[in-house]
Amino acid sequence: MLTKLAGGRLFDPANGRHGEVADLWLRDDRVTADPGPGATPDVVYDVTGKVVMAGAIDIHSHIAGGKVNLARMLMGEEHDRHRFAGSACGCDRIGGGSGIATPSTHTTGARYIEMGFTAAFEPAMLGSNARHAHLEMSDIPYIDTGGYLVLGNDDFLLDLIATNAGQAAVNDYVAWMLTATQSLAVKVVNPGGINAFKFNARKLDLDEAGPHYGVTPRTVLTVLARAVYELGLPHPLHVHGCNLGIPGNVATTLDTIQAASGLPMHMTHIQFHSYDTAGDRKFSSGAAALAEAVNRTPTLSVDIGQVMFGQTVTASADTMAQRHTAPLAHPRKWLAMDIECEAGCGVVPFRYRDNSYVNALQWAIGLELFLLLDDPWRVFLTTDHPNGAPFTFYPELIQLLMDRDYRLAKLAELHPDAPAHTTLGSITREYTLAEIAIMTRAAPARILGLADRGHLAPGASADVTVYSDLPDRRAMFERPDLVFKSGRLVVRDGALVAMAQGCTHVVRPGFDDLIERRIARYFDERIGLPIKHFRIQDAEIRHGAGPQLHPCRRREVP
Amino acid sequence: MTFHPDILCPFCGLGCGDIGIDQDDSGIAPRPSGCPQADRLFRRSATVPTDARMGGTAVSMDDAVAEAARLLANSHAPLIAGLATDVDGVLSALTLAERIGATVDHERSDALFRNLAVLRRFGWSTTTLAELRNRSDLVLVVGPDPAAAFPRLWERWVVPEPAFMPDGARSVVFLGGEPMPETAQLLGGQIETVDPGAADLATLVAGLRTALAGRAATGDPMTGLAARLRAARYAVVVWAAGLFQGPQPDMVVEGLVRLIRTVDGTTRCAGLPLSGADNVIGANQASGWRTGFPLRTGFDGGVPTHDPERFDWRRRLQDADVTLWISAFRPEMPEFSTNGAVIMLAPPEMAMTPEPALFIPVGTPGIDHAGDVFRADSVVALHAGMLIDRGLPSVAGVIGRILAALNQTATVKETAGC
Repeated sequence: MLTKLAGGRLFDPANGRHGEVADLWLRDDRVTADPGPGATPDVVYDVTGKVVMAGAIDIHSHIAGGKVNLARMLMGEEHDRHRFAGSACGCDRIGGGSGIATPSTHTTGARYIEMGFTAAFEPAMLGSNARHAHLEMSDIPYIDTGGYLVLGNDDFLLDLIATNAGQAAVNDYVAWMLTATQSLAVKVVNPGGINAFKFNARKLDLDEAGPHYGVTPRTVLTVLARAVYELGLPHPLHVHGCNLGIPGNVATTLDTIQAASGLPMHMTHIQFHSYDTAGDRKFSSGAAALAEAVNRTPTLSVDIGQVMFGQTVTASADTMAQRHTAPLAHPRKWLAMDIECEAGCGVVPFRYRDNSYVNALQWAIGLELFLLLDDPWRVFLTTDHPNGAPFTFYPELIQLLMDRDYRLAKLAELHPDAPAHTTLGSITREYTLAEIAIMTRAAPARILGLADRGHLAPGASADVTVYSDLPDRRAMFERPDLVFKSGRLVVRDGALVAMAQGCTHVVRPGFDDLIERRIARYFDERIGLPIKHFRIQDAEIRHGAGPQLHPCRRREVP
Repeated sequence: MTFHPDILCPFCGLGCGDIGIDQDDSGIAPRPSGCPQADRLFRRSATVPTDARMGGTAVSMDDAVAEAARLLANSHAPLIAGLATDVDGVLSALTLAERIGATVDHERSDALFRNLAVLRRFGWSTTTLAELRNRSDLVLVVGPDPAAAFPRLWERWVVPEPAFMPDGARSVVFLGGEPMPETAQLLGGQIETVDPGAADLATLVAGLRTALAGRAATGDPMTGLAARLRAARYAVVVWAAGLFQGPQPDMVVEGLVRLIRTVDGTTRCAGLPLSGADNVIGANQASGWRTGFPLRTGFDGGVPTHDPERFDWRRRLQDADVTLWISAFRPEMPEFSTNGAVIMLAPPEMAMTPEPALFIPVGTPGIDHAGDVFRADSVVALHAGMLIDRGLPSVAGVIGRILAALNQTATVKETAGC
């Protein structure tokens, strides 16, 4: 099957194209070179004047696994109010579901692909819950998926560190766990803090020794960042730092950047880690200082975790932080779990209100960060779905970034004291289409090591989105004209027209199998499960299709 | 004779992964595991009848599938229940339910909904089995001994010393229930029983909460227990709501969650609600991610609707004109009466009277085919492997064929597009 998209403006920053008019050719599931005169495409789409981009990629979105499913259970009222019939696409009418902040699996896939996203990654997969997460990801149609393995509060790792087992043993353990759980990357959540909470510590600072092991969060962070670097994982350590949501935490965040001491690191949802304590309310923006630090540290990348107003639910492995937030739950219910000597989960429903000073400032801080960070290759569009807002707010967020007048109009609607405590009103920057293409396509693919995603060169996966170039950017990004997944047209004029399935991306860095004996003994003695039942086989991924492997290249710290 | 070590047990929900199975030409048999359920349910003959039956007469699988599709397509009020199958089986049942507008429920969902009702209106604070084993210095068992439903709970998760307690000591206190003799034997001197009179569970829990608030009368036996909860480093409150007697069991659960929250405010305390046999947790999880709702959800015009009262299978059985009953784990039926036609998907060993309109034999996940099941603490999903090929299809396989027959307009099979 040969498809021609004729006359579009290609925004393909990975290949240096910023709106040039060119035809794009797809053969079956891949982008292909122009086959030259004489070739007869099976289908031609006239996309003259339209904006053509690769499918968008969300690098941080809680779409699958135990905490998401618990959040669905907790958000019963929302699900009752938002119920959907399946789409009558293809031969079957399937994909009915419910929910906005915690959509069911088919609804998740449908909402993403309708906006032109062809991949989304679950950023907090616990090893003990990985099989569940993979079962859910297999049930999300249309988009590619993958999971980041949560480490750094697991008793096994803390014991390795506390007993000075050495970096090589840590590396082998990390590699074994990534392999056993079919993960794409490593995430650390409140390093050591979730573990400390199990010993009844309610707070743990970056340089505070945790209970029982006497290991500091700084050590956990650096040991894991080094393991990820030395194993040669494409994605740097994905860091959810200490003290999330606490006024004054920007100091911790700046210290965390220093702790990395040159090792690559991705700091996630930094909006929640950018709070200062100036002003009467002891709550102010630390965005400028943080943006400055990120701008001058080329080994760092960040995503924002933008807050948008309305009802949502926060779901996190960070039980320590969630316990602080629980009294603010709206509606007034929440849940917390300690999980399998690994980590935990906390789920707290939340309503961000534009007439709340704190929420308004959170909104402004996120936008400040977007606009003050100067390299779109190192900053990613996220709402930390659903924690800052459901991912369906992305088109609105893009309009806020691309349209200053719109932004100022929204700023004027907020709590009256908020504008005085943010520099947002004075920032003139507007994102260009090329920058949006970097931030939502080229850069996410690059930082995750997905060589054939996020761009439109021959050989790339034929994941393509075509938009009308509307001045109303929200309308433009809400409703693409065409979306292709693996070469198949699945969305036309914002509506689903066919079914498709994505794949699951993983890494497998290799390890010295001596570590397996130690892990096996731990599983027998502590976890009460032979490790063969923990390990997830390839045949379990995507109904037997197996995972998509991405290479790792071992490195040494200079 | 072949020996299979470390086989995963899919039955009660504890997910024991250490069952030894002997296999020879006559079939499979477990080595004694200390669990009456595993010892009974892993015993299967190699040769079993694999024919489907229509009105008691053997028919081909093709004919059985066609008849099932005909019955379901013509149904005005279909019910898919039992739902005792692996995750794939549940997902295929949900696809079928959406296709024909059926409601779904699991045979054993009563216990689950006693906990879920509280989760959905109030939330909860819970823990998992490995945390119980390694962290708890005080286990408070509320109500009847959960070992009645989860036979190896104490042996595997409480007998081993807690690794993270300085002196490895652990107490087990029973409130409103007696330890079974096996439990007493295993835990011996660790066990204490608090039973101040013949009060019902709700009253006992309320009494303990009063004591925790410091408002108990002088000499109230709950005062001591409250003090011990406050003094424990990591207390775990264990209950099996399915075993609760008496009215409003969910109010007992809510009282427990509130109690846990109080203690957890100053020291650590978490609940461990157990409900899990025959993958009821997996069925609920799959329903949650596919529909956004727990079990007891139906599809009217393809739109999911949840109703924990109306869509209880016992109630729906009264007005269902066709019931697809799925029982892949064990050849046993609950009390069952309906005026509608019954399509039964069950192991060939299932004996039932009256004979259903249609019987389609299926294999058991973890015996006849691989399949995923969830553990009773709801976090861990486990992949049970295949032990023996007796020519029995999986539930997902049979429902897949029924769906294909319903969609005579050929369905394009999707494959992952990597």
